Amino acid sequence: MKIVELDSVSKSYGNERALDKISLGIEQGERIVILGPSGCGKTTIMRLVAGFIPPDSGIVSIAGKIVSRDGKIIVPPRKRGVGMVFQDLALWPHMSVKANIEFGLKAKGFGKPERQKMIRDMLELVGMLEYMDRKPAELSGGQQQRIALARALVLEPKVLLMDEPLSSLDLDLNIRLRKEIIRLHDKLGFTMLYVTHDRDEATDIATRIITMKQGRIDLS
Amino acid sequence: MAKRAFLTLIVVLLLFLGILPVLSMLVKSLVVQGNFSLASYGSVLTSGRQWTLMWHSAALSSMVTLLTLVIGTPLGILLAESDMPFRRFFTILFVIPLLLPPYFMAVSWFDLLGRQGLLAQIAGPVATRITSDLLFGLPGCVLVLFSVFLPIPMLLTMVFLGTINPRLQEAGRLVSDWKGILKSITVPLILPGIMLSAMLVFILAFGEFSVPNFLRYDVFPVESFTQFSAFYDFKAATAAAVPLVVVTLLLMFAESVFLRENTYQIRPSQEAVHSPRIELGSHLKWLLSLVTALAFIIVIVPVLVLAVQSAHTEAYIQALDYAGKSLLRSLAYAFIAATLLVSLGFFTGYLVQKKALWCWRFVDSSLLFLFALPSTVIGIGLISLWNTRWTNFVYATPAIIIIGYLAKYTALTSRISVTGLAQVPPSMEEAAQVAGAGWFRRIFYILIPLAGPTLLAGWLVGYIFSLRDTGITMLVYPPGHETLPVRIFTLMANGSPQLVAALCILMIAAILVPGGLLAALATRMKYKVNS
Ligand SMILES: Nc1ncnc2c1ncn2[C@@H]1O[C@H](COP(=O)(O)OP(=O)(O)OP(=O)(O)O)[C@@H](O)[C@H]1O
Ligand SMILES: [Mg+2]
Repeated sequence: MKIVELDSVSKSYGNERALDKISLGIEQGERIVILGPSGCGKTTIMRLVAGFIPPDSGIVSIAGKIVSRDGKIIVPPRKRGVGMVFQDLALWPHMSVKANIEFGLKAKGFGKPERQKMIRDMLELVGMLEYMDRKPAELSGGQQQRIALARALVLEPKVLLMDEPLSSLDLDLNIRLRKEIIRLHDKLGFTMLYVTHDRDEATDIATRIITMKQGRIDLS
Repeated sequence: MAKRAFLTLIVVLLLFLGILPVLSMLVKSLVVQGNFSLASYGSVLTSGRQWTLMWHSAALSSMVTLLTLVIGTPLGILLAESDMPFRRFFTILFVIPLLLPPYFMAVSWFDLLGRQGLLAQIAGPVATRITSDLLFGLPGCVLVLFSVFLPIPMLLTMVFLGTINPRLQEAGRLVSDWKGILKSITVPLILPGIMLSAMLVFILAFGEFSVPNFLRYDVFPVESFTQFSAFYDFKAATAAAVPLVVVTLLLMFAESVFLRENTYQIRPSQEAVHSPRIELGSHLKWLLSLVTALAFIIVIVPVLVLAVQSAHTEAYIQALDYAGKSLLRSLAYAFIAATLLVSLGFFTGYLVQKKALWCWRFVDSSLLFLFALPSTVIGIGLISLWNTRWTNFVYATPAIIIIGYLAKYTALTSRISVTGLAQVPPSMEEAAQVAGAGWFRRIFYILIPLAGPTLLAGWLVGYIFSLRDTGITMLVYPPGHETLPVRIFTLMANGSPQLVAALCILMIAAILVPGGLLAALATRMKYKVNS
């Protein structure tokens, strides 16, 4: 069974066609990288899968279940089992590292002792345990990156979406974090949909690369 | 060099227009027959009346602040983020009372609930006795000021929501429903906006004089005005104004401590389609009914009452006859004042936004201080400074009214200019600089066109606030130069309710028609600049 499936999905903004009848299937445990020039529709795909926007036409399914189709969102983002690392991370600036990670756990109804343990385990995994009580603004770019990852992974999502997560970092750190991401993936076994416009980054991370051009998948 | 000299000139002008009058008032109140003395304050500080006034002022402004905040903030969230229908329409509707002279709402409620009001004709005198007693006093003042200031937390909430990076809310949507997001993400992020609106409403309610004066609820600004206009006791008036200065300063201090600590890095979001909508679902019905009911009670009914009350042709003929000239004067003064306000506001805004002179923070705080200062204080200050034999060319002409507006309202146009200028990337000015353009050239050919829509909005705000001003004008207008709000205010005591209502309706039209046209124009300009 495909874990994520887009079936002939189109999306326009006004007159502009951002996605043109895209079909795409992702197998459990894959690391798919979408590669393509700016404006080709990469972010739009991510937002469709996350459920922030519905497709104008076509079907999006996750784990065999239709989550949105033909202009309608059927399953809201919070019930899709999807985690996301945003391009600008979107860490909540008013919350500590701990609170950032805890928010989703609380919303999902985990009890306090359980939450504590999950937060500690997760922070340990990304090597950030001692930064638990800092605010995002008190962390370096790379550290913020790890927290964003931890926040997305703590709920053990079926699918992790990453929209150019490393593009704001310098090359050294970028390369180091690629390894880190692969390590986490191997350990936790989620399915990953990763967006970049950097070919090197793509080949490093991907188990499969999909190239896009102007709202279509480039088969050439 | 031209830049520094010119901006310094602007600062001097600001000192001269606004700060000097207040200082002059303070100094004069401390000098009795050529010697330093606290005598003017003696009676003020010892009499029990002061405590009553203090209690009244504090009760009124805290209740109004609490109420506007508790209702205005959720209303702003609802109108900005939810999928409720008619959001734009409601937004415009709720803003209307803020655009009018505040006492209009009081007049309308009086026409409805007063002893000879519309209700009395239906429900009989006994019922109106109760409503009239409630209206004249704290509850009436709270109701009226609540409807007038509700748009402040509502609009500020909407503005601050617009500056939140939508990704922050989307990150929440991945794990939580909208209630959790609202509570833990959205509201904490707009907290500085909520605090700011609390402070603004408190200050404005504290300084408001026309409504408590009409509804006979004794507060400091009323006392100060009465001492001045009824007893011609300048010193007592000043002494009653000083607590207002002190409270204003205290609040500004609190703001600077509290708000500076709590401002997160927020940046304007540039997306055309943004912000997740709150899906109200099953809550839609009752929320929509509630909002509609509120709009009816605080906006639609009061305006309708005025319209019904004034629905006689003679009333309008008489109104134009009585006050046609005041109306024209009002429009002319507001036009001139708005133009000057936007110019002064642009340069002070530039000064503050670019931190162009060392004293930028002082300029910003002074403007805010003058805006926060009750109109009666500014009025008394202006009189104290300009009422001399040598300055009669100002004091005896409408110039004094315009100066009053500039002193009080430049803060608004200045803040608006700051926002507008902040949206122009510094590289734009730098590119012109590299191309060899001098400062004035850069201002006129680069910054003003780019900040154009914002400046138009600033003009509009200046126009409306000058047009609706009652407090300053009432104190400083030279004989024969009164504006329409002042004319109506003085007519209220002995004019017929029909006439007063007709005048109010004329005034409402004079504010809303050009306001609506210009707002539409500004929106279109903005659209052009963006696309
Ligand atoms: N909210 C929106 N409103 C209007 N047009 C949009 C919106 N979001 C995206 N678009 C348009 O849709 C197209 C695809 O955008 P998308 O953000 O998916 O590109 P992208 O591949 O992620 O680009 P980048 O690499 O620059 O992030 C672009 O042409 C863009 O202009
Ligand atoms: Mg993108």
